[in-house]
Amino acid sequence: MRVKIKRQQYPGAEPFWQEYTYEGDMNVSVAAVIDSINSKDNPDVVSWECSCLQAMCGGCAMVINGVPRLACDTFVNKLKGSELVIEPLRKFPVIKDLVVDRGIIQENLKKASTYIGEYEHDDKYSQELEYQIGRCLKCGLCLEACPNYVKGDNFFGPLFADDSYFINARSKGDKKAIKRNYDKHFAKGCSKALACEKVCPVNIPTLSAIARMNRL
Amino acid sequence: MTKVLIIGSGISGLTCAIECASRGINSVLVSPFPSERAQSVLAAGGINAVLRQDNGDSIEKHIEDTLKGGGNIAGVKAVTGLCTEAPSVVRWLESLGTVFSRDEEGKIRQRPFGGQTYPRTCFAGTSTGKQIVTALVMEARRLEGQGLIERRFWSDFHSALIKDGKCCGALIFNEASGTLEAVTADAVVIAAGGQNMMFGKTTGSTQCDGYTAGRLLMQGVKLKNLEFIQYHPTAIETDRKNMLVSEAARGEGGRLYYEEDGKRVYFMEDKFGEKGNLMPRDVVSRTMYETGRDIFLDVSFLGREKILDRLPEVYDLCMKYRGIDITRESIPVKPTVHFFMGGIAVDLNHMTNIRDLYAVGECASIYHGANRLGGNSLLAAVYSGRVAARSIASSAPGSDGSDWSGFVKSEQDRLAVRREVTGDTTVSYVKTVLADTIGSALGIARSAESIAKGMETVDHFLAIKDEISFNKSELEYFNYRIDGLLNLGKAMLICADSRRESRGSHIRSDYPETDDAFRKATIVSLEDGEFRTELVVEDDYAG
Ligand SMILES: Cc1cc2nc3c(=O)[nH]c(=O)nc-3n(C[C@H](O)[C@H](O)[C@H](O)COP(=O)(O)OP(=O)(O)OC[C@H]3O[C@@H](n4cnc5c(N)ncnc54)[C@H](O)[C@@H]3O)c2cc1C
Repeated sequence: MRVKIKRQQYPGAEPFWQEYTYEGDMNVSVAAVIDSINSKDNPDVVSWECSCLQAMCGGCAMVINGVPRLACDTFVNKLKGSELVIEPLRKFPVIKDLVVDRGIIQENLKKASTYIGEYEHDDKYSQELEYQIGRCLKCGLCLEACPNYVKGDNFFGPLFADDSYFINARSKGDKKAIKRNYDKHFAKGCSKALACEKVCPVNIPTLSAIARMNRL
Repeated sequence: MTKVLIIGSGISGLTCAIECASRGINSVLVSPFPSERAQSVLAAGGINAVLRQDNGDSIEKHIEDTLKGGGNIAGVKAVTGLCTEAPSVVRWLESLGTVFSRDEEGKIRQRPFGGQTYPRTCFAGTSTGKQIVTALVMEARRLEGQGLIERRFWSDFHSALIKDGKCCGALIFNEASGTLEAVTADAVVIAAGGQNMMFGKTTGSTQCDGYTAGRLLMQGVKLKNLEFIQYHPTAIETDRKNMLVSEAARGEGGRLYYEEDGKRVYFMEDKFGEKGNLMPRDVVSRTMYETGRDIFLDVSFLGREKILDRLPEVYDLCMKYRGIDITRESIPVKPTVHFFMGGIAVDLNHMTNIRDLYAVGECASIYHGANRLGGNSLLAAVYSGRVAARSIASSAPGSDGSDWSGFVKSEQDRLAVRREVTGDTTVSYVKTVLADTIGSALGIARSAESIAKGMETVDHFLAIKDEISFNKSELEYFNYRIDGLLNLGKAMLICADSRRESRGSHIRSDYPETDDAFRKATIVSLEDGEFRTELVVEDDYAG
């Protein structure tokens, strides 16, 4: 199988495409394909981020055949077409090859004071939804897929909407402030394209969180 | 103290930073990637604490189970501290907003885990570690907003800054700028996790490599009990790793068996009775190994509804990565490296033998003896972070304003020289061979012979270490860590060789009996190029 990878030597460098041939088992993840490219005594390895290798950490988020996905959670034999095309996430600055700097996610959550502070559970909220949101990997796939998210300047994207619901349900703090931040950094910019739910690797029901936040 | 440098942002590092900040101490939390990528998020099963005593459970029983499960070598004082504070640890996590699973009365749910006399493992659905990380990150973010915590990414530990037996900070390699920086602090806390990279396929994260322990050993820090490596009995093999099938599968009733003449042999139940499948991990792994057979775990009889309700992550991972439907088929399982009881030797305050250098979480060795009970390491990660923070808060500020620029330059120059080395023996080759070597030498059962064979290879690489060529296209940390890994590998083999008995997870085929003379911990040190081991009584060593 032909594998095309978009590479970049260092931040700001000109990206370039490199082609490889993969001849191994097709019943494997894209992460395994990248590893196999890297392991052939290759002095020029393709950099990529990885930690858990089982879709629990979000490290290996990238764009695979045009779709934002986790490499360890995407199986080659389930992909359409005869080619595998891999690119880094496009909405974050590239550090090297497939490794991007997703620091903006943490920065924006900090900017919007996304924390619980003093905990108090409001029983009118759904513990199940909070649990689902608590599993968010902060991988950035929802931001990549969202047509409204550009660089995170003012619109902080679906993961912020989820976390807003989470802290609203669990914080004793100033709920009006939480809602204000939600409106400012999410509700105003969301066009309800729903691409976020489709790409979420842990299936967070973002739409439910949005619906509940909008009703407040 | 006013400033603390914490290496690693998993559950133990985060806890320590939060607890320091709550006492007004500034902390810099360093890791290559954010906490969401740390191994802590993989912990599914739960965290142990005695939350109720009406069922006959008690703190004393938690202490007893932990000591007994650990082969009776952990220190009573340390384990008593851990188990006594466990309920307050869970309450604290709850107060930060961790989404624990609850029963009909709203109480935190608890379930049985291996080696426990009562069900005391609290859990958060199937993602306990992840839910704890989510809550801790939120709290760290709040304190970051107050300027008390600084989270630094793209940064790797290189070396400790040590002067006259005191730690004054650390050299940190910044991957984005490609430079080394001396970060000084009143105290340094190592929270870098386990040593997975020393083995091939494990259940854990690729970020846990053991470099920090290896490098600190080279700098005079004592390590402990490296021979005790936990093989989790139930992992399912996939192309990239062996994925954990949570102990919850057996907690819910799952049964281990092998096939003989077309019949199932439930060997754990045959040998240990009704509760056989839930024996401590070392016992299950050893018994599986002794059968010499392919082992399967059956949960299908629980019924689809219960499986999807209680074990959805086991269902998903078997289906996704192996196409096995566990509601109808058994799971092929094999014991796999999962946790390291050994690591950096610490006292009751979690301080190492170097003043103001602390170690917490899985990289520290103190509570688990020769075998860890499931649910006790998340507890230890949080508890140790709290203990270290308390000790730090009660110590006087200590950074002496030394100039470290000479050290930075010499290490920078050393890296520059290493980058120029060319040759066929590459870092990635050595790393792969090292993992194969340690994996073969320190399998579930080891012997003088297997250890000696491993030692030959490691000694060879150590002798030619300056000729190992770096891969310039790799992140620099992946290159320079090789020296630390080799030294750690050697120390592991030396520990395993020196313990000539079988205890807990350490099974010597040439010394199958437990020997009271070894009812102690192994301390290993490296001084003037010489590795030394000594046996110590835990309670004496921990102070
Ligand atoms: C699959 C799995 C399931 C588990 N389930 C349970 C369970 O149910 N209950 C339980 O009690 N325990 C469980 N454990 C064990 C438990 O998760 C760990 O022991 C615990 O989370 C360790 O936390 P930590 O903070 O010490 O380390 P980690 O979470 O491993 O964090 C280490 C941190 O150090 C950083 N780091 C590493 N090297 C460097 C370096 N050189 N420089 C800078 N930073 C560095 C990493 O990036 C990371 O941020 C499980 C383990 C696994 C693998």
